Amino acid sequence: MRRFFIAAAAAFLTAGASGAYAQEQRTFYLLSHGGESDPFWIDWNAGAQSACEQLNVTCNISFSGGDFAVQKEALNAAIASAPDGIGTTSAQPGLWTEEVKLAHEKGVPIVFFNTDDPDTGRDAYVGANLRLAGQIWANYLVDNGLVEEGDSVFMPVEVPGASYQQLETEGIASVFDPLGIKYDVVDAGTDPAGVIQKMSEYLIANDVDAVIALGDLVAASVQRVFDNVGMAPGAVPVVGWGNSKETANAVKDGYVNAALWQYPAHQGFMPVALLKMAADGQPIGYDIFTLQTYDKNSVQPILDLYGE
Amino acid sequence: MKHSRWRALLRKPETSSFLILCLAVVFFTVANDRFLSPLNVSNLLAFLPELGIIALGMTLLLTAGEFDLSVGAVFAFCPVISMLLVQHAGIDLGTALIVGFALTATIGAANGLFVTKAGISSFLVTLSMLLLVRGCTLFATQGFPLASWSGESILQILLAGSFYVGEVRLHASIIWFAALAALMFYVLNYSKVGNWISAIGSNRSAAVARGVPADAVKIGLFIVTSLLAGLAGIISSLRISSASPVAGDQYELEVIAMVVVGGTALTGGRGTIIGTIIGVFLLRIIRNGIVLVGVPGLAFNIFVGGIILIMLMVHSIVHKRSIRS
Repeated sequence: MRRFFIAAAAAFLTAGASGAYAQEQRTFYLLSHGGESDPFWIDWNAGAQSACEQLNVTCNISFSGGDFAVQKEALNAAIASAPDGIGTTSAQPGLWTEEVKLAHEKGVPIVFFNTDDPDTGRDAYVGANLRLAGQIWANYLVDNGLVEEGDSVFMPVEVPGASYQQLETEGIASVFDPLGIKYDVVDAGTDPAGVIQKMSEYLIANDVDAVIALGDLVAASVQRVFDNVGMAPGAVPVVGWGNSKETANAVKDGYVNAALWQYPAHQGFMPVALLKMAADGQPIGYDIFTLQTYDKNSVQPILDLYGE
Repeated sequence: MKHSRWRALLRKPETSSFLILCLAVVFFTVANDRFLSPLNVSNLLAFLPELGIIALGMTLLLTAGEFDLSVGAVFAFCPVISMLLVQHAGIDLGTALIVGFALTATIGAANGLFVTKAGISSFLVTLSMLLLVRGCTLFATQGFPLASWSGESILQILLAGSFYVGEVRLHASIIWFAALAALMFYVLNYSKVGNWISAIGSNRSAAVARGVPADAVKIGLFIVTSLLAGLAGIISSLRISSASPVAGDQYELEVIAMVVVGGTALTGGRGTIIGTIIGVFLLRIIRNGIVLVGVPGLAFNIFVGGIILIMLMVHSIVHKRSIRS
């Protein structure tokens, strides 16, 4: 009987050891401040999932729908579980100063994506510069003679007050303010029908000279809004984010003059690749910038990507 | 005699809402002549009936002393499930809609059963159901919005077709809203069920003692409210050609505000369909008018919240005076 128990215990320990060996897989946490159904984050998620599958790592992905408290809780839970690496957005400067320090104390590499905060001492960054994005849009309108002193620019946004709106508006203001061009940030909400309604109301009520769509959902709604209020494509110049099939189509059809592409899938893929390299002991102290302007002449590769 | 009739009319909550609605229309028309332009009226009447249809169900439920926070989630769930069936299971639109509505009715029934049989408050039950249904919708779509029905179909025309009255473009949803409002008005004011609903909301124990099947009525009302939210969601998704898993976000609060501003008591026992129609128009017109008068984009909600608060104060004063007299 005793022999039987010893044999059973040995078999159990052997099975446990082999199971542990089989499960020796890297585990990363990827935490986004965005919403899981935002066009940008949908593509980001697909890119991240693809990287996790290709690199054979376990990824725990979570979204916090713009709620920093939820993201903070998720980030601290991730650090507490001592994973092989963490990727996170930093939607507001200074949010993760303590968390990055804590992660480094525990030997966990931490990569920021989409929104950066270099002062935290994070290991690397993958994404765009949102202030620069605002400047690119404003300069596009000014340089092409589409707006001038005294003009009014309509700037719809899904989540007013979010860091992306603040940083983009700062960039826009740095160009428009010295030129005396007025702009109005408008809360369009996140409900698709509500976005169309609010943007339509604003265009009916005001004589706007240009539109800057500060988020992907509002940019994706431009064509429907123009059709809704009976405005012809190009009647008012529009620039903004272009990380969705709807916006790419709107660019092709002339509703949107130029849009910024952030390579959302790459923003999901590259942090996982960087974390895998860091976990394997390779240094990763460099940033990867993902930003490109496209217009009617250069939209086709993006439409091909969406499988038009 | 005539004098007292006028006084009685003025003390009705719907009357004060209607007067404020008239004032709002006059104010916004004076402030911006585009307010009554065919384009703005068309735009206003495109979205309004979709919220109005949900508000009708909510009115009956509030009158019975309950409310449903899951209507916004159901608004997204019904079209998403229907379009998933059409696009991935190859089912025709009619059958997919029947399945969508059947599931929507099940959600309503579950709400009703938990509230009546388990004795859990409708706030907690429908809050949980909101999260559950929204989560299911997001998981089923993986967050992706679905392209809505784009083909020719008699159902599409019946639910979301449009037509012109003069220069104003109207959608089929306005007819659905008007017809359902007439039906609900009849039910609440002239049918036995309407009496039961008001009796349950006023004093449930007394109603049960008089033989009113309170649980069955409440379960039925939860089912009707869910079905109306599902119908509004289907209409909206066909109109904007998109079935989004996040559609209807926070509609529950907007709809409850519309119903209460119209004069229905949040505590139950007093409900008015006419008031709800006025409340729906009032809140949508305020939201529309605030934009038209040139309020800065980030200050819209200050004015909307302020106006709703004033409305509720007026109701409170009118209600107290009518009780005193």
